[in-house]
Amino acid sequence: MLILAVLLWFFDDVPEAVIWAVVATAFGGATLAGLATAGGMVVHDVDEVRVPLGTWFSVGHYEFEVALVLDRLSVPFAVFGTGLVGLVGAFSQRYLHREARFARFFLLLSVLGAGVVLVVLAGSLDLIFMGWELVGLSSALLVAFFDHRPAPVRHGLRAFITYRLCDAGLLSAVVWLHHTAGTSAFVDVSGQWASIDVTHVPVVTAGLFILLATLGKSAQVPLGGWLPRAMEGPTTSSAIFYGALSIHLGPYLLLRSATLLEASPWVAGAVFTIGLLTALHGTVVGRVQSDIKSALAYASMTQVGVIFMEIALGLRFLALVHVVGHASYRSLQILRSPSLLHDQHNMERAVGSALPHPGGHLERLVPRALQPWLYRLALERGYLDAVLVHFVVAPFARLARLLDRLERAWLSAFAGPPEGPRAQAVETSQDIEASS
Amino acid sequence: MRAFQPGVSEAARRAVTGDGAAPEALAALWQTLERALPDVRVSDSGAPAADGIAGRTGYAVSELVHPTLIRLCASFLDQGVAYWRMPGKEQGLLRAVRDLYTRPMGPPEPWLRRLPARLAAQAARTPAAEATVVALLEELEIPEDDWQPFITATLLSLRGWAGMMHQLELRPDRAPVASPPTRLMDYLAVQLSLEAEALAYLRRRGPPAPAPREDPREAQERLLYAGFVLAQHAGISAAALARGDRAARWLDALAGFDELERRRLLHLAFERRHRVEVLDGLRNHARAGRPEAPPARIRAVFCMDDREESTRRHLEEVLPEVETFGYAGFFGVPMAYEGLDDVRPTPRCPVVIDPRHLVVEEPLDGPHEHGSAVGRLRHGVAISGQTMVRGSVVSGALGLATVVPLIGRVLFPRTSERISHAVMHGVGVPATRLALERPEGAPAAADGYLHGFTVEEMSGIVQVVLQTSGLTEARGLVVFVGHGSHSLNNPHEGAYQCGAAGGGPGGPNARAFATMANHPGVRGRLAQGWLTFPEPTWFVGASHDTGDDSMIYYDEDLIPEAVQADLRIFKAAMEEARRRDAHERCRRFMLAPLDLDPEGALAHAEARTADLAQPRPELGHATNAVCIIGRRSRTRGLFLDRRAFLVSYDPTRDPDRSRLAALLETVGPVGAGINLEYYFSFVDSTGYGCGTKLPHNIVGLLGVMDGHASDLRTGLPWQMVEIHEPVRLLTIVEAEPDELTAIVSARPGLARLVVNGWIQVVAWSPSTDELHVFDGGAFRPHRPETDQLPVVKASMDVYRGHREHLPPTRVTDGLAPGGGAW
Repeated sequence: MLILAVLLWFFDDVPEAVIWAVVATAFGGATLAGLATAGGMVVHDVDEVRVPLGTWFSVGHYEFEVALVLDRLSVPFAVFGTGLVGLVGAFSQRYLHREARFARFFLLLSVLGAGVVLVVLAGSLDLIFMGWELVGLSSALLVAFFDHRPAPVRHGLRAFITYRLCDAGLLSAVVWLHHTAGTSAFVDVSGQWASIDVTHVPVVTAGLFILLATLGKSAQVPLGGWLPRAMEGPTTSSAIFYGALSIHLGPYLLLRSATLLEASPWVAGAVFTIGLLTALHGTVVGRVQSDIKSALAYASMTQVGVIFMEIALGLRFLALVHVVGHASYRSLQILRSPSLLHDQHNMERAVGSALPHPGGHLERLVPRALQPWLYRLALERGYLDAVLVHFVVAPFARLARLLDRLERAWLSAFAGPPEGPRAQAVETSQDIEASS
Repeated sequence: MRAFQPGVSEAARRAVTGDGAAPEALAALWQTLERALPDVRVSDSGAPAADGIAGRTGYAVSELVHPTLIRLCASFLDQGVAYWRMPGKEQGLLRAVRDLYTRPMGPPEPWLRRLPARLAAQAARTPAAEATVVALLEELEIPEDDWQPFITATLLSLRGWAGMMHQLELRPDRAPVASPPTRLMDYLAVQLSLEAEALAYLRRRGPPAPAPREDPREAQERLLYAGFVLAQHAGISAAALARGDRAARWLDALAGFDELERRRLLHLAFERRHRVEVLDGLRNHARAGRPEAPPARIRAVFCMDDREESTRRHLEEVLPEVETFGYAGFFGVPMAYEGLDDVRPTPRCPVVIDPRHLVVEEPLDGPHEHGSAVGRLRHGVAISGQTMVRGSVVSGALGLATVVPLIGRVLFPRTSERISHAVMHGVGVPATRLALERPEGAPAAADGYLHGFTVEEMSGIVQVVLQTSGLTEARGLVVFVGHGSHSLNNPHEGAYQCGAAGGGPGGPNARAFATMANHPGVRGRLAQGWLTFPEPTWFVGASHDTGDDSMIYYDEDLIPEAVQADLRIFKAAMEEARRRDAHERCRRFMLAPLDLDPEGALAHAEARTADLAQPRPELGHATNAVCIIGRRSRTRGLFLDRRAFLVSYDPTRDPDRSRLAALLETVGPVGAGINLEYYFSFVDSTGYGCGTKLPHNIVGLLGVMDGHASDLRTGLPWQMVEIHEPVRLLTIVEAEPDELTAIVSARPGLARLVVNGWIQVVAWSPSTDELHVFDGGAFRPHRPETDQLPVVKASMDVYRGHREHLPPTRVTDGLAPGGGAW
């Protein structure tokens, strides 16, 4: 990523082949290194390796220690993640051929890869936060990849705002852990993989902060509305972000913080409830989507909800298998979503008749009189977005605008009419509302 | 302001400065122009005069209305993406929407809050869509004179969806699965209802945002500056402009030469360059003469498609004894076709024909089982992936297994496709025949189709095709080659198929035609009309895949012994021709190295069609520019760079030009349709094309949207047209100018195409080298600009090492006889 960034900084016109060679080397190499590490760990029967890379900076008695943890949780994730970035890169090299923003795509893909590796291998919550931000940034920028149309930019902004809101949860968790326990490093406590040492931590608060952090990235109820709208970038980025890597970082963080869930039935209960609500929401709303990418987005959301439930129930290895299985299954599905017409035709030939329409069991389950109502509810996305936008965001934006007006009145009373920046502030708050 | 513009010639500088110094002369020039500056009219930021609600009121209603309207249209028209279908869609869009949105506990969006009341009132007072629309127009205070432009603008605000509603209302039979009862009026009523709600809501919130207007002073300054710079380049001094009202006229002329006019002129120049190059090439090729040729041994009829130009040329270079013909690729067979495993018939003829005949492919030995348990299981698994409980099982248990196809598909596309094909399709295809013959007088079946053709109908079809294309001398082996194309992960796969076969593969048409022409009854009837074929004459149907350049031959077991040897020769030649064809195509693919050999090129072409990651499996008609209607003997041996539709027509056998007239009426619209689709998709990729393929999202099995939700995007994606040269189809017809004038003026459809300039028409005299170009209402002689024509031995010598468009070139190997590696 660094090489690519440097290249792009200095040269306007880097050939596609060079860009691809850099990305392929980086992620191919990372995958192989990960595999070698895994092999080594199995052979030598090592459960956990810690790689301290030193201290980045220290302020007072706070030290930002950069340490990586290789264990049964992180190594499979790292190998899978880097491998998938490499594969999607290979796919995109042909898919995005002759696209003017070819370099930008690969730069953002590398940022994603670096972010995922950082999150997965991080030895402390502080370091996770850095990777977490990289993933969020690259995700929002790739949603807004086709920035000559308004919709992608709007939807990218929406994703970005959701991320920022939830990042506050992660940041709060970091601060909270430092405040109460003095560190956010993961230690070997649970026996399965490194996690947070909960002995001195008020677990409910910490757990809920972490849960908030996962809501945005993993598109859980009630903040999942950005996910179907994020299908604006090239198909390949949709596949790797929202079918595979970015969306499963929530479960990863929860698995990493397993001790919190173990220590507090409240937190586990909250995770379970969110997962259940998301799964139900996703499956009902997803069933009425008539475009393939929205249908797949809601299917992803549903499965991640189920994974949340599994984690809450303590079925961690099941969740791990489910994550990896779902990520490969869904990303392939999204990658080949433009084949839908072709597949439909082949499927008809294979079945031997026009495809039977599948809504039957839903129609049996739901009372007849309620069906149109439920259908409309699903078509309108369970009203979640509307409620959020009009009853949470809009009042907030109105408040911000009011404050802005007051401040301007206040300032102009002293200094005469201001210039430039204020117009920008108004536009931004309107954008937030418009991004509904 | 004190120095000359860079690039102003020395002579021009001297003319402007005269005896004085440059800074003073330039300042004088500026001031002279400034004094003459007229008032400049400022247009309303490009908004069209007629507009919908947004344009008339200044409220951005679309931002509120479109997401909801798109969702409703997509759900209503959905052909099978959604698991759960829209309830009540069988009653039409308007009634379904009223039923859904009048229920209690509606969507909480403030602007939709009063919608249920509105819809309920409509249902009570004006149940019909027409009455609803009228009531809404009155409510919106649109004057009655303005209804038409207002409605047009309203519908055009989501032109893709509105257009799909309209199309499915006109031709429900062309829906991919089954069309719900679709009416454009229903759609309009729903759209206007939503817009009225949005407008009322926005009005309650406050006045509209003021539209940005350009400052007239800026426009004046721009004009002044342009006049100033241009005067420098033209070498016009202040003194020259100061005389009389010259300065004002100078600026006036410049203001009149606006962007549209400038682009029009540049476009005409662009077309002229291409036209002169092609016409000179044709003329000089004809003047260079051709060797006397013995009668051909084998005849092959291809589609007129520009992509078959290279296939035919290479075949002729490999096998000089072959004579090739071009005909619209449905070969005159106006049928709906149902293949062995198809679940419904699809039309295989030009879109303007509504086929009444159905042809079914039947297994030769015993009944064929449709579908399989494996297929039904696959379908079940595919559906489960998007549900909750079953989805967990599928993604958890089978998910890991998809790593294998994921890696295979991405890194080894060609091998993966072979394996997948072998797994899906098993051991082989059963032998089949077309159920083609219908007894005389048999009525239409319950499905509304006439099953097959009677002997009389078949004879008519065969006679028209053979006589029009000049194939009356047929003897020995005659191969009819239809074409199709297959590719993966490509919503626009249909656009690569045969246009004349209604956007489907044309192979079955070739097969049907060959079967008809071999029918003893048909031969007997033709013999009565003096069209006899000496024994042995045999017609063979075949199909060419323009994606991976593969060939399929049909009904080979029926071929008589006497033509078997010729067929073997043909197949071997075709084997080499398709390799060279792939090689010629690969020069256009930037990811294919220029030093590929033909074998490697064929592998490259095959890999493209099997690659999920490939947005350009082939380039389709991207290079189309020319249509030549005439004898192949006049163009044989001329490299036309896959840019020409080649239609066989023999003027010597059509004394009254009646066949030409009929031919033009079918070929004209087909060629112009393809050409204009590429033209407009290229010149306006956002408006008429569908932009880049990368974010496309298939909706309802009907079309694509950009990303999450957008208008239905029609037209061609940028990846298909990026190398296109947007010229109007240069249609060269072997006929005298007055004959063409007579034909065109008697046929309103053709006249619209020609006189209104949708195509360029050239009359190519059948007896001399004269070419006449239709221009401004009359034919004017073409004045050649060169007598030179490059000459090479084989096509490969022309294109090797080049990626760009190439001019016509004489290829001696292609001139029969002699030459050739055969």
